[in-house]
Amino acid sequence: MRSRQLAATAAAAAVTLLTVSACAGGGSSSSSTTTTAPAASPSANAGAITGPVTISFDEVYDSGTLKTAMQSAVKNFEAANPKITVSLTTYADYGALLTAETAAVAAGKAPTIGQAYESWAQKFATSKVIVPIASLPGASSTMSTALSSFYTGVQSDLKLPDGQVWMWPFDKSLQVLFYNATLLKAAGITSPPTTWTQFGTDLKSASKNGVVGITIDPGNATEGATSGEEWLEELAAANGTQVYTSNGTPQFTNPAVESALQYLVNLKKEGALATGTNYPGETALGAKKGLVDLSSSAGYYYEQQSVGGKFPLTTTLLPAGGSGAPDEMAGANLVVFAAASSQQQAAAWKFLQYLSGPVEQAAWSAATGYYPVTSQALTEPSMATYLKQNPWVSSTIAGLNSAIVDPPYAWVTQCGIDLSTAMSAALSGTSVSSALNSAQSACSSAQSNG
Amino acid sequence: MKRGRRGLRPAGNRDFRRTKKGWLYSAPAILIFSAFIIGPTIYTFYVSLWNWNVLNPSLSVFRGLGNYKELFKATDPSFVQSLENSLYFTGAMIVAGTAISLCLALLLQRGGGLMGASRLAIYLPNATPLIATSIIWSWIYNPQFGVANWVLHSLHLPTSPWVEGQATAMPAVIMFSLWHELGFLTIIFLGGLTVINDEYGEAARVDGAGPWQEFWRITWPQLRPVTYFVIIITTITSLQSFTQFYQLSGGGPNNATTTLSYLIFEESQVLQNTGYAAAVAIVLFLITVFITLVRRRTTPAIR
Amino acid sequence: MTADPAEIGLNRLLRRAGWPERGRRLPRRKKSLLYLRRIVAVLLGLGFIFPFYWTFVISVDRPGQFDSFPPVLIPQWDWSSWARAWSEWPWLGLFANTALIASGTVILCLITSTLAGFAFGVLRFPGRKALMALVLSVLMMPQTVLIIPDYVLASDIHWVDTYWIQIVPWGASVFGIFLIRQFFATMPQEILDAAAVDGAGRLKMLWRIGVPAVRPALVIIAINVFMASWNSFLWPEVMTRSAASGAGVQPVEVGLSGFASANGTDIPGLAAATAFTTLPLIIVFLLLQRQFIRGALSAAGSIR
Repeated sequence: MRSRQLAATAAAAAVTLLTVSACAGGGSSSSSTTTTAPAASPSANAGAITGPVTISFDEVYDSGTLKTAMQSAVKNFEAANPKITVSLTTYADYGALLTAETAAVAAGKAPTIGQAYESWAQKFATSKVIVPIASLPGASSTMSTALSSFYTGVQSDLKLPDGQVWMWPFDKSLQVLFYNATLLKAAGITSPPTTWTQFGTDLKSASKNGVVGITIDPGNATEGATSGEEWLEELAAANGTQVYTSNGTPQFTNPAVESALQYLVNLKKEGALATGTNYPGETALGAKKGLVDLSSSAGYYYEQQSVGGKFPLTTTLLPAGGSGAPDEMAGANLVVFAAASSQQQAAAWKFLQYLSGPVEQAAWSAATGYYPVTSQALTEPSMATYLKQNPWVSSTIAGLNSAIVDPPYAWVTQCGIDLSTAMSAALSGTSVSSALNSAQSACSSAQSNG
Repeated sequence: MKRGRRGLRPAGNRDFRRTKKGWLYSAPAILIFSAFIIGPTIYTFYVSLWNWNVLNPSLSVFRGLGNYKELFKATDPSFVQSLENSLYFTGAMIVAGTAISLCLALLLQRGGGLMGASRLAIYLPNATPLIATSIIWSWIYNPQFGVANWVLHSLHLPTSPWVEGQATAMPAVIMFSLWHELGFLTIIFLGGLTVINDEYGEAARVDGAGPWQEFWRITWPQLRPVTYFVIIITTITSLQSFTQFYQLSGGGPNNATTTLSYLIFEESQVLQNTGYAAAVAIVLFLITVFITLVRRRTTPAIR
Repeated sequence: MTADPAEIGLNRLLRRAGWPERGRRLPRRKKSLLYLRRIVAVLLGLGFIFPFYWTFVISVDRPGQFDSFPPVLIPQWDWSSWARAWSEWPWLGLFANTALIASGTVILCLITSTLAGFAFGVLRFPGRKALMALVLSVLMMPQTVLIIPDYVLASDIHWVDTYWIQIVPWGASVFGIFLIRQFFATMPQEILDAAAVDGAGRLKMLWRIGVPAVRPALVIIAINVFMASWNSFLWPEVMTRSAASGAGVQPVEVGLSGFASANGTDIPGLAAATAFTTLPLIIVFLLLQRQFIRGALSAAGSIR
């Protein structure tokens, strides 16, 4: 009896193993074709679209003005390029986007274009599932002109460590401060602080009667990159040292980083800083329980919604530290997947050029609060009203030239989570040096694992 | 006449039960399980032996048991820390879940009307989807605006950061999970209480035994099989819980609520360390199997 | 009432557990203790329902009130949050998808569970015990890691972003199989023997006699599978994509999570969305409460 049972179990296992290996074989063989990505053969009419072609675009513009602005961008593009159809697939957040892009690539069904952070792009590139922009049909002649129209900080952000341009920009933002103007006046602060030291003092004096100066989200694995963690990076840079070297090595135990985190811990101790999740600064600001919110400029629409006209907002750049006022540039770039056909890649290049061109950048900016990536957009008529109503845009946009950005290495995702963890730990009472030590060792081992 | 296990069977009709083709009836179910669960499980074990490149599997590097050895290194969060969190959560759910639901069952047995409404109210959270209730509780737990801190404040107790404090996050998630599970466990205990033979209890009361003695000597021993079931079901579901750790606490703060399930999610979906995540998954699978086998050997046989 | 022995048995169990059949009252024990227990029971019940009550209050209160401290417990009625939340997301389509997926899954589960439960509970064939062990082992695999291999499989058969991928993989239930098996194993065997003597083939026997005999189990499984399908999140989240317009093939919980991500700071709107996506289930629960309770009671007996 027992041997028959064993035989039956073995038979069942063998059947399933065969099924699995067939599928596994199917899966890997279909994606192995992408390792030899079809390089577009240069020809006289490279980049010409011969017949109707559909390209797919995976993105996260799923609500509010982001959604409507993207839909009208697609409509305008399709009207100007009747042979191309753009099919949008929208995800709720970057976490869901990464899962979907990864799964799609694994199954051999990658989209044509997808949003991607720099660290994602590095992983995609080393796994040979995306193509360099210059290899897109039609790009070899037109790419460098388009590239030089961007702000310099944006240009360097598009390259991976091998020096090639693998990504294309679309929406970039900087961190800005949104103040409750009424509360500023009530606290006797005549003008917003221009140094971090002054910022700390102002926050402490405003934190009374149920108001907490600022509420931040240090971040966690589910949420991904948050303003709170970016603030730490900006403070460290303002103190003189960035959290990463240019080749991605972490320097979390550097004194500049430690004093940056200590600054936040001190704010917390004085009751001027609180932590939360899910854009807590925005909620607190709207509830009149916060003096200021630190947020991406693209959060502008959401801040206004939260405030609901209850009080006027004052928007400023970041204050300065000992080594200036570096701002962190955020916003995902676009990549083109290798599984796309030659015609799709040609169409993708046309779409990328359109998205980053001055006309669309002006429209996108005015609708969403992202900065245009090219200064040519500033003179577009559609931006005129927006610039007049939001003077902070013109005064801060030069920051795109000098902004700091996390180096494009795959382990940076893990290291961002490690920094978030260190922030949470320090703000909950762990000593700053031990929190940063743990983060440093975790990030170093992620780096050595490649 | 032949005697079978269930009584007499007519000898003339060759027993319809015995048939070599019986497995065909179970084939649809087995096929679904094989294709979508058993097959992928074996594939997961295969993946766990590689430094797996999910984007381009042909670039994967074979590591043998290397991923398993790495489980004990100090990554962030570490496997050992996640295992501790899982055991903390599971242990608390087992102890609190069993004890509280037993008390609730004893309290709510018999009586219609109000008692029945109460039983329904306690079971209601179990019938509502975890995503919706996680969203509800993340607002309840909001340190500045949530009802939880208002209750503490009204009782003149210090307020708590709940899911945002390192030491309080796991207790907060446990409290939410208990709210969700207790109704189901209470119903099970209620079922167990009703099949208990009343005669022993009556006899004890006639002999002058107090309610505590009656419970401890008469009721409790007869509840053992039900208690074992409650413990096992709580163990398995707690070890695999994911949704509330994702939606309510995000694995933090500072990895305080990163359980093994959440670690698998983080490593495979966020960080794409697919091989390592597969190794963690296989370990979690083995732990669950181990516990179930242990239970089989220790449960009194009631079939 | 029914003459079905299984049904009678469960009714008896329910009655003794405290759910009297309609109209009947139970004899009382010590009165004072009962009053005390009643008060505690009512307080507990209210406490358990409170989170739902509070969500409802936030959703129908004036939008500026949700962040007041101390929290407001009696709303100043304003349904604008419901209107806003409803119009911003394709809820009707999401509900329709969920209903379709849940129903499909229930039907498939009933079929596979009855067949397999019959096989394991009545028939005798080589490999039966091994197959049962295999089925039990299915319970132990953590779902988070099956996603990637299952996505590769789904993609190979072109089932990604379809209704199929949300129904078929869940079309077999371990709980269902073992519950049906339990029912078959404990029913009087003479019924089946008599049918065999009459010359009925196995399938006909199953259909004519077996299925009616296990009807209470079918109801329990239907409810169980329906609720589990509604509750599923990670699987449809990965396997489906939100359409550029409309609901696509996504179910309502994925929609709710997406809504929370996109509008997470609109607390009254989020409360409204949570309220109206949960309300149908609460209504179903109240209408079918006896079946729910049965389901929980029989869970204890089925898997050994």
